[in-house]
Amino acid sequence: MSNSTKASLWVRYTSKSPVFVTVFSVVLGLVVGALVIIATSPVILHSWSQIFSSWGGIFHALKVTLDNVGAAYRSIFTGSIVDPPQFWHALTTGKDWAVALTPISETLTYTAPLLIASIGVGIAFQAGMFNIGANGQAVMGGIVGTAAGSMLHLPTAVHVPLTLLAGILGGVIAGIIPGLLKAFTGAHEVIITLMLNYVIAFFLIYTLLSTALQQPGQQNDVSRYLDPTAQLSPLFGAHSGLRVNWGIIIAGLVVAFAWWFLERSTLGFDFRVTGANPKTAQASGINAKVVIVLVFLISGGLAGLAGVVQVSSTTHFLDGGFLVGSAGIGFTAITVSLLGRNNPIGIIWGSLLFAALNVGGRVMQASTTIPLDLATIIQSVIVLFVATPVLVKEIFRLRVEHAEAVQLSVKGWS
Amino acid sequence: MKSMHLELRNITKRFGNFTANNKISLTVEPGQIHCLLGENGAGKSTLMNVLFGLLEPDEGEILIDGEPVKFANSGEAVRRGIGMVHQHFMLVPVFSVAENVVLGFEPTKSFGRLDLEKASNDIRRVSKEFGLEVDPDAIIEELSVGIQQRVEILKALNHDAQLLILDEPTAVLTPQEIDSLLEIMRSLTAAGKSILFITHKLKEVQAIADVITIIRLGEVVGTALPSDPETVLASKMVGREVNLTVAKDEVAQGDTVLEIRNLIVHDDRGIPVVNNVSLDIHGGEILALAGVQGNGQTELVEAIAGIRRVESGTITLGGKDITNNSPRQILDAGLGHIPEDRQSNGLVLSMSVADNMVLNTPRRAPFAKRGTRNLKAVDENAQTLVKNFDVRTTSTQAPLSSLSGGNQQKVIVARELSRPIAALVASQPTRGLDVGSIEYVHKQIVNERNSGRGVLIVSSELDEVFALGDRIAVMHNGKITGIVPPSTSRSDVGLLMAGVTEGSNE
Amino acid sequence: MSISEITSTAVQSIKRPVGRSRAIGTLTLLLGAFTTLIFGLGANSASKSNITFNPTNLIGVIPPHVGDLSVPSKASCLLLGLCIVAIGLETLLRRPVKGLMVRFGGSAVLFVVGLLIWTVRTPGPAPFGSINMTAVLVGSSPLVMVLVFGALSGVMCERAGVVNIAIEGQFIGGAFFGSMIASTTHNFILAALMGALIGALLGLLLSFLSLRYLSDQIIVGVVIVTMLASLSSYLNVQVLSPYPQYNTGDLAPKLAIPLLAKIPILGPVFFNQNGFFYLMIILVGVISFALFKTRYGLHVRAVGEHPKAAETVGIDVIKIRYFNVIVGGAIAGIGGVAFVASYGQFQPGCTSGLGYIALAALIFGKWRPSGAVVASIIFGVSVYLANNLQTYNVPVRSAILQTFPYLITIGVVAGLIGRVRAPAADGQPYKRD
Repeated sequence: MSNSTKASLWVRYTSKSPVFVTVFSVVLGLVVGALVIIATSPVILHSWSQIFSSWGGIFHALKVTLDNVGAAYRSIFTGSIVDPPQFWHALTTGKDWAVALTPISETLTYTAPLLIASIGVGIAFQAGMFNIGANGQAVMGGIVGTAAGSMLHLPTAVHVPLTLLAGILGGVIAGIIPGLLKAFTGAHEVIITLMLNYVIAFFLIYTLLSTALQQPGQQNDVSRYLDPTAQLSPLFGAHSGLRVNWGIIIAGLVVAFAWWFLERSTLGFDFRVTGANPKTAQASGINAKVVIVLVFLISGGLAGLAGVVQVSSTTHFLDGGFLVGSAGIGFTAITVSLLGRNNPIGIIWGSLLFAALNVGGRVMQASTTIPLDLATIIQSVIVLFVATPVLVKEIFRLRVEHAEAVQLSVKGWS
Repeated sequence: MKSMHLELRNITKRFGNFTANNKISLTVEPGQIHCLLGENGAGKSTLMNVLFGLLEPDEGEILIDGEPVKFANSGEAVRRGIGMVHQHFMLVPVFSVAENVVLGFEPTKSFGRLDLEKASNDIRRVSKEFGLEVDPDAIIEELSVGIQQRVEILKALNHDAQLLILDEPTAVLTPQEIDSLLEIMRSLTAAGKSILFITHKLKEVQAIADVITIIRLGEVVGTALPSDPETVLASKMVGREVNLTVAKDEVAQGDTVLEIRNLIVHDDRGIPVVNNVSLDIHGGEILALAGVQGNGQTELVEAIAGIRRVESGTITLGGKDITNNSPRQILDAGLGHIPEDRQSNGLVLSMSVADNMVLNTPRRAPFAKRGTRNLKAVDENAQTLVKNFDVRTTSTQAPLSSLSGGNQQKVIVARELSRPIAALVASQPTRGLDVGSIEYVHKQIVNERNSGRGVLIVSSELDEVFALGDRIAVMHNGKITGIVPPSTSRSDVGLLMAGVTEGSNE
Repeated sequence: MSISEITSTAVQSIKRPVGRSRAIGTLTLLLGAFTTLIFGLGANSASKSNITFNPTNLIGVIPPHVGDLSVPSKASCLLLGLCIVAIGLETLLRRPVKGLMVRFGGSAVLFVVGLLIWTVRTPGPAPFGSINMTAVLVGSSPLVMVLVFGALSGVMCERAGVVNIAIEGQFIGGAFFGSMIASTTHNFILAALMGALIGALLGLLLSFLSLRYLSDQIIVGVVIVTMLASLSSYLNVQVLSPYPQYNTGDLAPKLAIPLLAKIPILGPVFFNQNGFFYLMIILVGVISFALFKTRYGLHVRAVGEHPKAAETVGIDVIKIRYFNVIVGGAIAGIGGVAFVASYGQFQPGCTSGLGYIALAALIFGKWRPSGAVVASIIFGVSVYLANNLQTYNVPVRSAILQTFPYLITIGVVAGLIGRVRAPAADGQPYKRD
């Protein structure tokens, strides 16, 4: 009797809290990632082909599998959070703290722009709009920000804010186009923003090859370097060896703004009403067109800020590969926002996790030759499960609440 | 002649903890019109969906000609000779009549090709047999509601239905169209078909039923004869003596507060559906706008509330021209609006009761200051309104979706009446509510009138129109066909609803 | 709650039916003015443009020689420009309700012809004095073909009420695995089957999550694309790089149809193609027939328009949606194979958003296979020209030229939504209650 009560309490607790669905989704994502490693790693496949050739074959195969998958995931962990021996070394000797803290510093460095862009996507989602163009907007922010940071020459106190503002402006320009088109023609923002991502990707190449932004004397697609006065400096000084920088402080401010905006501001209230029930929003006096344009303005501006933070804190210049493919912060931001259920606090955890996966993924790529793309695969699997909470509950035999409201939705064309 | 004997035995259907049907039994004899009478939400539609194979009963059985049957889906019910005319027509709007009628039972030629010619011929034959004129090649969305209903009936007949379920078929019809529907029903029973007629309208029941079964809160509460007086039927239906009238004192009429002049409004397709309408609503009066659904009332109200463009004409509220103003300007000018479809137009179900209470005034003091909301003031406001308007909720922070329909409507009423307004526009204010909530909402509306506000009620329920209206305006086909005192007879109002005005032979 | 409702309430209630024709008319007028001013007045009046029709680089069947067409550049461009202006004015003045897209499409074709005449004017900056129309059409045809596969996939899914935004992912999956099979077996039928299988599996994933668990179709679709993009990139590093024999880049052989392939101009375009091209044409016919003439098609369209009505007459809504999404996925998967079979090696990102353009082609084609073909031709030719016009020394940077197909897509989608009608239940989850 008491046993079953306990069980039901556990089940009730786990099924009530959406956090558990997220945690289980992460577990499932890692499992799928492990399967991908197994299926494509010749050593593991070879060991399994040998299981009938000797008595201990199956144990050997299991060991090889665990060793390889373990090595991959261990390198993700040690590369992004902490490497215990190094940490122990620093703790006991008081030396080499920089080495011990490098992984977490790298993760936070990567988190900053990702978090900012994800907040932008999340705000749009809360207003019922799918800004799948965050990546293009971030690139645009990078372009305009780089122009301001490399072609103007000002003292730091003015140059850094100006560069950041220029980045925001770039994102706003790229964001307001789909906003206006959606508001005034009713065009679906998903197709518009998807297409704009490609347009902006080509525009980046154009600016790097054919404009004054190109590094003088260069034939390749490389931009001018940001002035040191336009760069976000490391938090612990340039000599600390830690790259974590003012970007993470800016990201923190953005989160605080987003929390106030969504939970406390009247405009944020309008956004949420529009997202939850557009017809009611209209009837209660909210101007849908204005909201649509503002959503894309804010969302695009934040994506632009993310882009310029990335340049100003990490790369210091642009090249043709800026935010391309799986390195595209704007695409990861969509998955982060879904993972964090579009609320600022959830997005913090989501962006830390996905930043860690990407940073650790690089270390994994270097130490085990497993490509970084594994991180993106794991991320997309996680989000597929997060978008399907009922499936996760069925897999883990949690109590399924009937007629569960689907968390997020975007709708058809007309 | 084919015919069907249908019996339902102890049908029980539960949704979670809620029992929609509890041990319902009834029998329909061949050639009989069996009326299922009950309020909205009594469980009539659930029962019919069980019978039609759309829902599976938790207990009980269905017997056709004495033999127990089970329907896995409605296709099987149709094959056993059951046809259903749904309240919301199950017709594909972009398909032709013929395509709709044969859907699911298509005649085909070689390679699975549709034989629409055969379908058209079949339709012509059946429609001649029962006097249901329809053009098989017409596209559904271009047909009037009355004709669409004929297509639904034809669809059932074409599948050789012996038993027809008509689910609230008269809600969308004019009194004259209702007469013609009753005529069709009689000719069907004459041909040996039986009919299950679902309604909450007493007069129709008395006009046509052979047998009446009354259900309330998911249970059969008794049977009645068509000859029983209306009050007997009504009290059985709602479970207590009902007072169909609302107590109203004489109130002196004030100045015009809401003035509508020569208004023309288009629907989504650009067709004028409000055509040169002029109305005056005075302070201290209720003007009830009667009419069959879909004659422009919805668009008229939307235009007043500013959510639909006015093509020409003017709307004046308290002396201020509000024509084509934004909804917010109109709300601020003092219009209270209880929308027709509260869940999709008036509320945000996922948000809290407190937030819904300030949906129209989120920026007004004390609810916000310089762009920042004062959540404490918002909650205090909700606490007060929940108490004053008797909203049953666990908390002011509970999501609105956790409230019953009646309490959701009370939230809207509380919200609209708690802010300073000059006029109230209420569209179908009691649709889908239980009797207690109806009385409450009616009382609040009358209170508004008594305190000198002008009220415009739009309702397709004649009972409500007569109970509330100080004057009754009737709308047909986008025009006001007459404004009459509530002492006018129902049949005269019915004629106006059908567009028959003196001196016209429309 | 959905985004579509914002547009339907807010925009519809305020928009007037004539607004759209004004937008299209203005756009056409601008296009005409551009053609007249830049192409017409920008050309030397002594210049001539040669248009040739003889295919180049053809192996095997070669149609008889056709003479060149030489036109005065300036006069032709002026004439074309004024024609477009006339269409624009007519649209603005008469405000027609129907045939807007025909007018706009016609203007676009005139514009492209004007662009080509202007590009090859001699004397002029172009290194070649002529444009080869047949080569343009032959060169565009693989793109058009891939777009048609994608758009047909979309027709199958969306007619049944499911938005398949994962077409791009199905392209990638089909291209990757199809290329592997083609490289190892040198058999393109097996490759096509593999592509169909992969596409179908992705369709199954989309339909499983969106039909059974009511997940949002667009979100699931987008995530599937991300997943396939990263998976293919991962496998490219892990498998294709170390084992180049899995990615040999074999092209599918051209199968010339006797006699027909010899028809001048049209022969090389339509009758000297690889098997995927003919399969595409057959599929267009089969799907058109199936959707609009058969019992199956009536059921599909009913499910996409009014699923509840379909269910009340015993049609299994969920089953039809599963079937269509899986078959649609298979078609897109074959489209991916067709891509590598026409262009060679698989590269990560090689489909560069064609799946999304196919989606726009589907909308432009009003959810009809025939319309999708017309739209795919417009988009395919513009992608081809964007990639190849640079060789004619057009005074526009190649990176800017390459944005044009995407900009055209945006323009078309923005001009169109609200004009054309999607299946009423498109994108909406369906639940039996």
